[in-house]
This record gives sequence, C-alpha cells and structure tokens, in this order.
Amino acid sequence: MAINEFPLPDLGEGLTEGEILKWLVAEGDVIELNQPIVEVETAKAAVEIPAKWAGRVVKIFQPEGAVVEVGAPIISIDTGGEAAQAQEGGLIGETTANGRTAVLVGYGPKSGPAKRRVRAGAQPAPVATPVPEVVPEPEPEPEPVAATAVGGKALAKPPVRKLARDLGVDLTTIAGTGPQGSITREDLQAAVDGKAEAPAPAPAVLGSRETRIPIKGVRKLTAANMVASAFTAPHVTEFLTVDMTRSMRALERLKGQRDWREVRVSPLLLVAKAVLLGIKRYPMINSTWSGATEEIIIKEYVNLGIAAATERGLIVPNIKDAGTLTLRQLADGMTELVNVAKTGKTPPADMTGGTFTITNVGVFGVDTGTPILPPGEAAILAFGAVREQPWAHKGKVKLRQVSTLGLSFDHRIIDGELGSKFLRDVGEFLTDPEAALLAWT
Amino acid sequence: MTETLTLGKALNLGLRRAMEDDPKVVLMGEDIGKLGGVFRITDGLQKDFGEDRVIDTPLAESGIVGTAVGLALRGYRPVVEIQFDGFVYPAYDQIVCQVAKMHYRSKGKVRLPMVIRIPFGGGIGAVEHHSESPEAYFAHTAGLKVVACSNPADAYWMIQQAIASDDPIIFLEPKRRYWEKGEVSRDSATIDLHTAKVVREGTDATVLAYGPMVRTALDAATAAEEDGRSLEVIDLRTLSPLDMEPVYASVRKTGRAVVVHEAPGNLGLGSELAARITEQCFYSLEAPVLRVTGYDTPYPAARLEEEYLPDLDRVLDGVDRTFGW
Repeated sequence: MAINEFPLPDLGEGLTEGEILKWLVAEGDVIELNQPIVEVETAKAAVEIPAKWAGRVVKIFQPEGAVVEVGAPIISIDTGGEAAQAQEGGLIGETTANGRTAVLVGYGPKSGPAKRRVRAGAQPAPVATPVPEVVPEPEPEPEPVAATAVGGKALAKPPVRKLARDLGVDLTTIAGTGPQGSITREDLQAAVDGKAEAPAPAPAVLGSRETRIPIKGVRKLTAANMVASAFTAPHVTEFLTVDMTRSMRALERLKGQRDWREVRVSPLLLVAKAVLLGIKRYPMINSTWSGATEEIIIKEYVNLGIAAATERGLIVPNIKDAGTLTLRQLADGMTELVNVAKTGKTPPADMTGGTFTITNVGVFGVDTGTPILPPGEAAILAFGAVREQPWAHKGKVKLRQVSTLGLSFDHRIIDGELGSKFLRDVGEFLTDPEAALLAWT
Repeated sequence: MTETLTLGKALNLGLRRAMEDDPKVVLMGEDIGKLGGVFRITDGLQKDFGEDRVIDTPLAESGIVGTAVGLALRGYRPVVEIQFDGFVYPAYDQIVCQVAKMHYRSKGKVRLPMVIRIPFGGGIGAVEHHSESPEAYFAHTAGLKVVACSNPADAYWMIQQAIASDDPIIFLEPKRRYWEKGEVSRDSATIDLHTAKVVREGTDATVLAYGPMVRTALDAATAAEEDGRSLEVIDLRTLSPLDMEPVYASVRKTGRAVVVHEAPGNLGLGSELAARITEQCFYSLEAPVLRVTGYDTPYPAARLEEEYLPDLDRVLDGVDRTFGW
C-alpha cells in the first residue's frame, strides 16, 4: 500500500495560490485516474482538477473555502501499489527526484553536467600517448556540384590559394590529392620543391590501342580558353605574303654591330617591332571587348604576348609595356621570355594581362595559320616560315626570302578595313624596314 | 571579492542595484510583483520598492511595451519583463514600429532608454510558446540592440549596463540556465556591454555561441580535449551590434569556425556570422563556416525537445565536420 500526497498544481502560468471551491470526492471514495476531484478558483478561472492516480481517497487536507498555496498538499490517495515517485511540484529552483530543476511551467531543466554519448569512430586519445592519434575524420558532406573543377579553376581551399599566389604557383598546373581532388598544402609544397613529378596516373590501356590522358593542367586551361574565345569572339583571319629579304639583310647588319654581337636576333624581333609600330598607327587593334560593361577598352600600353611551345604545353608569356622598349630591350626581353618558358618557370604574372599576341608557327616549318584569339585580346598574328621562293622582283622572277602572315581579329571590334590596313602596314615594314622606320618614326 | 550565485539570483541582484542607483528605473510585467516572476527574477523587489516601481501588468504585451515607451519618453527607465519568449509577438509591433524607430524618427532628439527582458530558449520541458529563440527577428531590426547573457557574472553586470544605456535593448536571458551557479564579483564591471568574449582559449577550431549554448559549447570543448582537439569558445554576448573583431582574430588563428544556436538555422544569427567571417577571414578558412542549430521547424513538443536542441554531441559532430575539409 502506498499513500501519495497530491499537491495543488500550478493551474496557469505564474499563479501562486487557489481557493478550494468544492470537493467532488470524499474521504474513502474509490477514484479513477483523471477523475475530477476538486474545483479550484484562481485569479484566472475556476477549474476542475483531475486525479493524478487511481486509488482510494485517504484524507482531504483543505476544507472548501480555504486559500491554498501552490505546492501544498490538498489530498492523499492510497494507490495500493508501490510507492509512487517522490512528489513533484517542489519549490521552484529545487532539484526534483528525476534530476531536474522544478519550475512553474514544464518539466524543468536537467541539472548536473552534460554527458557525451559514445561516438562512433572517435576514440579518445590514450593518455600515455604523447601525440594523440588523429581522430578518423568523417566525410565532408557531398557538394551539390560535380567534384571536378569547372571552368579551368583548380580546387583548393582559401589558405592554399593564398599560399599559391604568394609563391607564384599556378594551381591549375598541380594535381590535387585532397578531398574531391582538391590541392592540399602538401601538394603545393611538393610542386614548389620540384617534387611535383609525382608519377602521373599511368595511362590506362583500354582494350587494345587507346591511350587515355587525363585532361588537366595547362592542357585543360588552354582548352577552356580556346573554347571560350572561339565561341564568343567572331574570328576573321586575313593573310599577307611578304618578301622579307630586306628584313633578313637588315638582321644580318644588326648582328654585325658591336654591341649586338651577343644578342640573339631572329626575324620574330622585326615582326614584333612591326606590330608595335602598327599598333601605334591603329590603336584599336590593341583593345578589349568588355561585354559586361558594354565598352571597348583601348589600351595605351602593349603587353606583347609571344606564344611558346614548352614541355608543359602551350604558354603565352608577355612582355610588359613593350611599346616603350628600344629594339635592343625588346630583343633581350624576348630572349629572356623564351629561356624562362623553356625551363617551365614562367611566373603567372607574366602570363596574364597580354594585349596582343604573336604566334611563331614558322618555327615548325609551316606557312601560316588561322590563330584563335587569346581571351581579352582583339587580334593575334601568326608568323609563318621564311623560305626562299620564286618572287616577282623588279620585273623578273627571283628567289627571295618570303613568309606569310596570318592575322586573326575580333570582328566585333575590328572591321575588315582596319584589320587589312594594319596587316598591310606590318607587311610594308617587313618588306622594307629601313624605309618604314624612316617614314613612321 | 566574489560570491557564488545562480544566474537568476544574479539578475535579481542586478535589477535591485539598478533600482537603488536610479529612482527612474521601473519594472513592469506579468506576475513580476507579488509572485516575483514565474522564474522569481524579480523576487522581493515589489516588497522593497513598492507597487509603483514594480508593476504587475495585465496580460497584454503590446500594452506593456507601449506603456513603457510612454514612460521612457517622460524620463523613466522602464524594464519590461516578457514572461516567455513566445509571448513577445503581440508586442512585436510596438517594438519594431515604435521602440526601434523613435530615435531615428525624431532625428536623434528622442531616445528610449528601455530594456525588454525576455527569458528565451528551450530545455525546460514546457508547452508551446515557452521555448522559442526569437533573437534574429530583433537583431534584424535597425534601431534595437540585442544582448544575451550566459552566466551569473554577465547577468549581474549586463542587466545593469543595459538599464544604464540610453538605447532600447532586447535583453535575452537563458531560462534553462537560471539555476546554474557561478562566481560573481559585485565590485565593478570588467567589460563593456557590447563586446564578445573568449571564454575558453584554444587553437584548433572556434566555436561561437551565446546565451544557453555557451554552456553547451564549453562542455563540448572539454569533451573535444579528450579527442586531442583544442576548441576556442567565444561568448558573443552582443547579438546586435555584433562584436566581430575577437571572432575574426580567433578564426584567423584557428582557421575553422562553428556557430551554435538554438534558433533554427535558416537565416539565423549563424548565417550572418558565416557571411562576415567568410568575407573577412577568407584566406584563413580551412573549412566553410558551419552551423549547429535548431531545426527549421516550429519548436517541438516538450518530449521531443532534446532531439531538437543542439547538445554537446551535435556540437562535436559539427567540429568533426570542419576537420573533414
């Protein structure tokens, strides 16, 4: 047998007391769970209070008309079974039997310190081990986009990007080993230390005679740039075949000068000079189509790009502000550019910001090409091989040093007239550099 | 000299001292006088300061706050108690349209020195409307300042600093922490009201919390130590304006940040914190700023609230996730 005392509960938020209006049961009655036992009036309303336990009423403590504090016992009930839980509804702020703090509204907050649950895979480090074991890391939540880099952007978290920029490393040239193929600090460090020759994944042999090469690095960047350019800028290409015999002779004479003896000079140098002078005459050639701002930006400086084939692939470093250089400075700049490019150490800064590019396809022995514009540039000149060819010269057919130029330009900016005039002037310079220099400068 | 007090008692003493220091301080609210408040925060104050300074109001939050606006206009410093977070909405119009705008509307000529105390958050097993975290509504409103205390010492000083402020302040009290004890020095305040505080130093990740979640974050930091991870815990204290410099300094040091709050994650304080941290600490971030929050549902019935509320384990899970990047 267990006798439970039933305290006056809080009947509404914040009430301290209630008046017993009428008892609905008498001592000795057998009552059911939730049977109304008493009517109580509070400041807010008159309410019937249901029995909390089934059993027999042992004693009624408060007479009708009594004003009773919340929490004071009003009735005791013999529930017949085991002793019920210790009484609830203790004084506010006191800890109850179930480890909570009593409040007026609700079960009350849990008291005592919070405990952690046993966590899958997270073993606490043994105390004796000086260096704690690395806790197995959960997989990061899958990203909603495909894991592969989009638009030629390398995957790397911000501090790695910052470090790469500080070190002058182009992240697109590094293979990542981190989550989702991202580049880690270690990958970057290895690349800087020259240990980047980590064995590239062996080309998988598929079936019999196919080799699969992962698209990444310079190849991937080149592809993205070329696709972006080819499908946004409407390309037009014009050709001009010029007799470069006088240019070649001029180069020979230049090499004979004392302070040019150590300098590497090639026909490309004169082509570059011709382009720079041509741009001076037609500045619109050296411009950018800015769709975002609806502007054509004409640059007063020429960052002259020279396309170079390297072991890593095609790169286009540029000579900054080439229009202000003397011929000698230009020659030195081009030599330096090519030498650095061959070692594969061209800093990213040298590969951005180009305004006009020359691609010297002639070194491969071909006549010319229809080059694709580097993104952001309005024109690009292909310089073909210089060969001895029969040529009408002073009324006779003679063998002359002849080359074909191919100029591609962005037809959004440059019309046929402007492109033709520019190409003609470049040709004129190469046909007779001395006369052009005297006439134009 | 310090003494050990519960957070609730510290608030009670802080209110008492504010009333002693300034006769213009008046308290208003439901059941705050004779009863001393449902959480006994104003216990004994009506007895000592009288019914004119500790006013039992009708059950009409809009009227309570509206009356306080009038009192503030006439030079009083009303301190309003909203009995439970979920009861503040009838007063929302007054708070957003009048309290927040008066200073701006009057071109700075009229200030409303008032405090709106709101016990907020869950964890006490209460019924609907009694466990909500409405801080984002107020922090989003220009013209209001919003602060949240997390421990007895802050409770004692922050309530006095809030009352002394000439601007209207939403003062959030972590109701489930009312009975947690801590050391309180009653000599002088150590820091300004609108400052965040590093409450535990660490090196591996930064956990940002306020109000009731500061305790949870500290428990998580203790547990993480067993895993060999050192968590830095920052108690934001001020939710509007946010005090970001200590946060930036910490994230630049640790490279990882986890924001913890009871309020739902969608457009909560965590969203704003994540955006600001990303903007200012981008090159320091080893992982995206993560949020450990309540779910985007109405606050559930009491028997489900432990599933809803972020706890020590949810915080640790969040920390684990930041190390997955």
